[in-house]
Amino acid sequence: MPASGPSWPPRSVLGGWSTMADHRRTIALTTVLAALVLVSTVAAPMASARPAHEIPVRDVSDANLAEPTADGWEEVPASDVPLSSAPSSVPNADDTTVETVDVQAVRTDQRLYVRLEWQDATRDMNANSTREFADAVAVQFPANTSSRPPIAMGGPDNRVNVWYWSGATGTQELLAGGAGSTTPFQNPAVEANATHQGTGGNATWTVVYSRSLEAPSENRTDLRTDGDLDVSFAVWNGSNGERSGQKAVSEWHYYPFGGGPEGPPYETLLWTVAGIAIVAVIGVTSFGIYRTRGAE
Amino acid sequence: MSTDQQDDQGDEDTLVNVADGVDHQVAMVMDLNKCIGCQTCTIACKNLWTEDGGSEYMYWNNVETKPGEGYPRGWEDSGGGWESEEHSDRSPGEIPDEEDYGRAWEFNHEEIMYEGSDEPLRPRDGAEWGPNWDEDQGAGEYPNSYYFYLPRICNHCTHPSCVEACPRSALYKRQEDGIVLVDQDRCRGYRYCVEGCPYKKVYYNTVSKKSEKCIFCYPRIEGEGPDGETFAPACAEECPPQLRLVGFLDDEEGPIHKLVNEYEVALPLHPEFRTQPNVYYIPPFAPGQHTEDGETVDIDRIPRQYLRNLFGDGVDEALDTIDAHRQRVRQGGESELMELLQDKNPAKQYRLEVFDDE
Repeated sequence: MPASGPSWPPRSVLGGWSTMADHRRTIALTTVLAALVLVSTVAAPMASARPAHEIPVRDVSDANLAEPTADGWEEVPASDVPLSSAPSSVPNADDTTVETVDVQAVRTDQRLYVRLEWQDATRDMNANSTREFADAVAVQFPANTSSRPPIAMGGPDNRVNVWYWSGATGTQELLAGGAGSTTPFQNPAVEANATHQGTGGNATWTVVYSRSLEAPSENRTDLRTDGDLDVSFAVWNGSNGERSGQKAVSEWHYYPFGGGPEGPPYETLLWTVAGIAIVAVIGVTSFGIYRTRGAE
Repeated sequence: MSTDQQDDQGDEDTLVNVADGVDHQVAMVMDLNKCIGCQTCTIACKNLWTEDGGSEYMYWNNVETKPGEGYPRGWEDSGGGWESEEHSDRSPGEIPDEEDYGRAWEFNHEEIMYEGSDEPLRPRDGAEWGPNWDEDQGAGEYPNSYYFYLPRICNHCTHPSCVEACPRSALYKRQEDGIVLVDQDRCRGYRYCVEGCPYKKVYYNTVSKKSEKCIFCYPRIEGEGPDGETFAPACAEECPPQLRLVGFLDDEEGPIHKLVNEYEVALPLHPEFRTQPNVYYIPPFAPGQHTEDGETVDIDRIPRQYLRNLFGDGVDEALDTIDAHRQRVRQGGESELMELLQDKNPAKQYRLEVFDDE
């Protein structure tokens, strides 16, 4: 290659890109790269990378999902929600056994279905003798969805509406405004169905709750909310003496009723801006290279 | 000791220590020297309060033989109560097993009554323990064996660890008379009260799935009976030897105050649990030990250390005081204490209306 005075970029930087074949290859590579970056920036977050505390909700017009073993649940995405011992003043509060609960949710035009599945080797259905405690599970919502209550049973001004099922008492619906204030509603508006399947270490409980979206009375969570709906979970292993504050609980999570399945709106905006910026940089760089090569 | 009580009667030098927020404190004194172990108190209580499903195994009032395992078996070692006199940290306890309470046995009535069996009447299977399994067994070797009966109800403690144990405040000490109750609407059957009571006097109802306990027959002392009359708790009224005094600890004219606070001869059971019981006991006397030849010697038949373990170190002085007063009367002297321990006038034995006008 003859020397033709100073040019930009310097040849030492561009190395041996000197032929027309090289030139075409550069453009092709750049295009592919740009396309890949575009796809990964815009499409990937929409598909899988949901925020850590979001639990997906499948929206369908109608469904028959009240039973834990209903076929439709196979189509519904599940979240592994980690559990840990609740902070509590009761004896042995840090002695809990269940470490994770699988959560699925479906919202129809009429009802919200929540399916919880967790491992428990023993099916503890009774509290019929002095030392016997039953397995139980609960889903906690803010009674008023405008703000997030304290995680431990809410607070006096910020109460929680709890869906509770235990092997011994069946389904209960509770209202609480702080630890120790839990009070059952006279008639639960929530329905629950439970099944214990398998044996030994692989045995699991599955419980499906459902309730009408519309709040049937005051102090019950209105599930028609347009915003994200805060939700948390608790599991008790009866054969370990778990009851009251001795329970495995999650942090606050949320159902993305507001922002759609791709997460809150600000996140989409940020990814879009980033994607455009990256595409622009690649475009400008490619154009620069093309013009430099073309000028020779 | 000064009073915790907000004194609304003007007698500010009262020595009676009742719980914060409680106006007056019901109390009972049981004279163990009068108990014949007939269980009439037990049955009076059971007929009134624990006949329904789920409460079969419960004896809010029981009478156990001491030394002995008691009811429920081994309750004295089952934990509960307080770690210190500050009443800030509770000692964890255990929930007794069904077998420790003793299950209701099934008997062979059918075979004997209708099928002509000539077997003796007896429980079918699994009769291996019951509330009075070791009744009258006691301890010691002939000719110096010994035992006595210990009637027990809820102590309606001044510092009830069962109340503190409940994360839902379902148990409470009611303001007017310090009776400890379980609010059946608040209770969710967690049983922290059952394990937290060192006397194991809160019971889990296996049908209602809630805990329950001795209520000091509050409807009777409130005059809820047919004629609006006030009655002492059934366990006291029905007692054939009338060994129980019932009244208020802070009724300074009453026999309970005198026995507990003035003469200091009525003692709480296991004060080391630090719940400050309001049921007190006149400790038991027994004849001196016998030699092989049947001579009585001046050695305690009931080891003094055993009584100290039950009633605390105050038992020595209590027994000495009673002994001294007994000698005085024997020699023709007067003793108010002996009068109090023998008094059969119900108006004094049961003083439940002294604060009615407040």
